[in-house]
Amino acid sequence: MNTSLTTESKHTSRRSSGASQSGSSVSTGLARPADIKLRLNEVSHAYGDGESELTVLDGLSCTVRAGELVAVVGPSGSGKSTFLSIAGALLTPSRGEAEVGGRNLAGLNPQKLADLRLHEIGFIFQGANLLPYLRVEEQLRFVAKLGHADKRQAVRRAEELLERLGLTSRRRHYPDKLSGGERQRVAVARALMNDPSVILADEPTASLDADRGRDVTRLLAERVKAEGKAGVIVTHDERILPYCDRVLRLEGGRLREG
Amino acid sequence: MMFLALREIRFSKTRYVLIVTIMLLVSFLVLFVTGLANGLGNATSSAVRNMSADRFIVQKDSDDRFARSALHAEQIDQARAVAGAEGAEPLGVQMTTVTKRDSESKIDIALFGVPAGGWLMPETAEGSRLTASETGQVLADRDLAESGVAVGDTIVDGATGLEWTVVGFTENQSYSHMPAVWMNEADWAAYRSELMAARGGEADPAYNAIALRVSDAQAERLNSTLPDAEVITKSQAISAIPGHKAEQSSLLMMIAFLYVISAFVLAVFFYVITIQKTSQFGILKAIGARTRYLAGSVIAQVLVLSFGSLAIGVALVLAMKAMLPASMPFALSAGTVLSSCGLFLAVALIGGLASVVKVARTDALDAIGRAGA
Repeated sequence: MNTSLTTESKHTSRRSSGASQSGSSVSTGLARPADIKLRLNEVSHAYGDGESELTVLDGLSCTVRAGELVAVVGPSGSGKSTFLSIAGALLTPSRGEAEVGGRNLAGLNPQKLADLRLHEIGFIFQGANLLPYLRVEEQLRFVAKLGHADKRQAVRRAEELLERLGLTSRRRHYPDKLSGGERQRVAVARALMNDPSVILADEPTASLDADRGRDVTRLLAERVKAEGKAGVIVTHDERILPYCDRVLRLEGGRLREG
Repeated sequence: MMFLALREIRFSKTRYVLIVTIMLLVSFLVLFVTGLANGLGNATSSAVRNMSADRFIVQKDSDDRFARSALHAEQIDQARAVAGAEGAEPLGVQMTTVTKRDSESKIDIALFGVPAGGWLMPETAEGSRLTASETGQVLADRDLAESGVAVGDTIVDGATGLEWTVVGFTENQSYSHMPAVWMNEADWAAYRSELMAARGGEADPAYNAIALRVSDAQAERLNSTLPDAEVITKSQAISAIPGHKAEQSSLLMMIAFLYVISAFVLAVFFYVITIQKTSQFGILKAIGARTRYLAGSVIAQVLVLSFGSLAIGVALVLAMKAMLPASMPFALSAGTVLSSCGLFLAVALIGGLASVVKVARTDALDAIGRAGA
């Protein structure tokens, strides 16, 4: 516990360098309400019923603004997956409110939630989890197609994203022909494809070596700032914390500034 | 929905080619056995099936078989009294063996005695028609031509020694795998009395059955008024033709099993690949794909594969049909092909249902906190 605290404070001190590196001018102090893309308010969640209830989240609150990349760290079993599932509109909390892109998730039916995930949330998973049978550019076009996006616009958006992420030469490759880092960059592009308000990354560097992990995180931070997304990375990987604007610790079912 | 379905097939070609091959073989077999069943059905029953009658009167306790049934002239008059002169026509059926004159080889035929010019008499496809006045003339099914009989030839009955001249051919008139040979009432009467004389001269029942074109009410009345006789439907009469039911039921059982097999093959194939892809479906649901879309993708694949294998299967069967010898009883109409294909598709969709259920039950939450893809 002690060691992790010290490394974290070290990273926090280097935070500004990470932010300036990506050329963002977003100030974390001055946020108008419209800038808040993700808000969890007094969220609690418990698994099980009655006698053997396991409370995982207990009055958790947090807000993430446009252009801000936040890291959430915590030991395993601290509720990181639950937090991500609630923020990602996959799980309805036992108590409390979740708001994504200004829309309250309470009372939405499964179809509405699926639509909201499609348009407002970009997921990046542990493994890249691309569809093995789609070429890189098709991975992006497929997401646009799910969202009924205009085809020409989708093609343009995909080209732009692939270029920004250095994948242009790989756009006709299948995932099994890509390196781990490239795959995760495609996953970043896919998460951004439908221009969501929020990007949620679940241990995105877990299957990458240190350099590739840093690369992917740097690119993610760059896009989050350039496109004004609210980014959340749930991670164990302390090497990528310098690229994040804030580090939050998940402890006792709540988030604290690290 | 085709977007994913087609791209996955393109990517995993081997796997899908294998399943298409199995489906194609099964659909080929379904169509082939169906054609064989129809062909055999025609060979046993087309002479009766193509009659424009809807019901028949046969003797009671004859098991619906024409050959076992005997009706008297007065029963025919009684039937006509109810059904009207146009509604009932007498029908004589007798299986016999003939030879072509000046030839030794025997030919099995089914003799049909009906009124010339009536609605029981089939259309003449080649040669001339029978008339009520001319005797000693018959109309034969074209299958008789395969035994070397041509229009103008004379055939000799083995039992009675009577001689008939073939004046014309008809199409698709066979009975219990024998070509049907049609004669008028006068020849039929002459044949019956010869036959009875040869057997010892007992009282001669005139005909075997009465063909009817009547309403339900008339049929009901006939059934109750005629003594020692009953009204049966055409399909009852057909299934009582010797050999018909046995052939059809065994072939139908094969066809039914083939459909069940194809449903299971598809179900197992898609269920296994769907289980393999469970985590993919979880991911897709997490990024916002609706269950309906994913289920639609699975169904789209089932349809693409079924259409593909059916198209090849139909082409193969048609090629096969063209190559089969004419003596092979095989009949496959466009309508039969279409309805078999329709049934095959329906069965394939049922096979895909298990996978759809599996897709629907996949939880998007599985996508979070898992490394695997």
